[in-house]
Amino acid sequence: MNPASANVLTMIMAGGRGERLYPLTRDVAKPAVTIAGCYRIIDFTLSNCFNSGMRQVYLLTQYSNVTMNRHMRLAWEPIFRVEQDEFIESLPPQHRSGEDWYHGTADSLYQNINVLQRHRPGNVLVLSGDHVYRMNYVGMIDFHVGNGAELTIAAVKIERARACEFGVMGTDPDGRVRDFVEKPENPPACPGNPEMSLCSMGVYVFSTTKLVRELIRDAKDRHSSHDFGKNIIPSLIERGDRVFAYPFRDENTGSSGYWRDIGTIDSYFACNFDLAAPQPAIDIYDRRWPIRTCVHPYPPARIVGTPGGSTRRGEAVDSLISPGCAISGARVELSVLSPEVRIHSGADVSQCVLMEGVEVGHGVALRKTIVCPGVRIPDGKRIGMDNRADRARYTVTRGGVTAVPSEYAW
Amino acid sequence: MKQKLLVVDDEENLREFYRLELEEEGYSVDTAANAGDVLNKLDAGRYDAIILDIQMPGMPGIDLLQRIVTRDRQQPVILNTSYASYQENFLAWQADAYVVKSSDTGELKQAIRKVLTGQI
Repeated sequence: MNPASANVLTMIMAGGRGERLYPLTRDVAKPAVTIAGCYRIIDFTLSNCFNSGMRQVYLLTQYSNVTMNRHMRLAWEPIFRVEQDEFIESLPPQHRSGEDWYHGTADSLYQNINVLQRHRPGNVLVLSGDHVYRMNYVGMIDFHVGNGAELTIAAVKIERARACEFGVMGTDPDGRVRDFVEKPENPPACPGNPEMSLCSMGVYVFSTTKLVRELIRDAKDRHSSHDFGKNIIPSLIERGDRVFAYPFRDENTGSSGYWRDIGTIDSYFACNFDLAAPQPAIDIYDRRWPIRTCVHPYPPARIVGTPGGSTRRGEAVDSLISPGCAISGARVELSVLSPEVRIHSGADVSQCVLMEGVEVGHGVALRKTIVCPGVRIPDGKRIGMDNRADRARYTVTRGGVTAVPSEYAW
Repeated sequence: MKQKLLVVDDEENLREFYRLELEEEGYSVDTAANAGDVLNKLDAGRYDAIILDIQMPGMPGIDLLQRIVTRDRQQPVILNTSYASYQENFLAWQADAYVVKSSDTGELKQAIRKVLTGQI
């Protein structure tokens, strides 16, 4: 690791309640929601950290829960080596700065200035716990140091129609950011590409002293919403500080990299299929950049015909099937199954995300549906075929995805 | 109405010295000898600025500063300290200004004027 990367402290914002992801976040914090079968959303960011050599990591958590804590304890804490000053630790609000919870992204760091004081890193890598992407942060840190930047923002090009959900930047040819507007109604286009906008990924490298000064200035501003995108970044640019956009590219292809903010059920749903596709957006099988997690020692997944000699086959195509799953005489296609999902004979599952321990009864038909952990779908149910009827019973998104919550009373 | 200052210093002679100097400038000056005294006075009301000695027995000035901004993030505070100790502690940066402790109060008076007029 080069010296610039060695002097970096990583702070991951993992405190969002994830209300727009309800019912997926009914029992777990957003970063702990299962994705791509056997991962948690935060595994992607943490794998990036670990694989990039960023091994002094704080998680700024707020809505603590058993699942998240257990996952951190089993999957992540054991691989950071204490004897080499590596660590991964959660920082819930310490109420050092009052009785407040974290109010906004910038406030979550402000309330932990004592942590920055304790470590005194040269730079701080600020990440979000609910993004799915594959990125080596070393390149960005080198870019930051090489430019003498006070803030570097990882940037990705997104179609203008969708860019209104993000912070959108305007830059000079050398990458210096001249404008930044959070969630604009009419996003400005990239130079030379009127269909795309240059958007912030919510991945930042700050020089520590500049960050601390800005956090304190922002904390004193009673009109601020203490948000990086709304307050801190526009203020730095306005005052002429050196803010740069780092073009995010896929490590292997060199083209614009895949990045997805898991903000809604629809984006969560789409991301699952991006990862399950025959040509996946991120190759989770690439051993050069392993996505780490912790899976219990379940038996292998098995796919069998109907017991008793019937001719009905069990099959799964274009799908991710986690360990411990059993598909008996049922058809599964274009779907993502978490561990210990049982699908009984005659069931037909297409374009679905079935979370841990879901049981699908005989003859059930599921289309474009997310089923939350532990749900047992009674024999013969049909879900996802009729959005209007489903709306009366379940959550149905704007994109037409049906979500069945845990402990659903049939 | 006179602007209200609170001078915090564990040495009585210095408290009186600052009080006289700053009253001459037209301020209403209150004094406190320790952290408990400061927090009790803040319970009773707000000050336009607090001049805080960083080296105090009982609770260090940095910890007291933290307690003050915890109660009110907008409370202006001027630290009486050395450049080095101010510079090396991020928590000290929560103060609005620092001055080097000295018998020459010119720097302090200037810092107070700047803080009170929002120039810092």
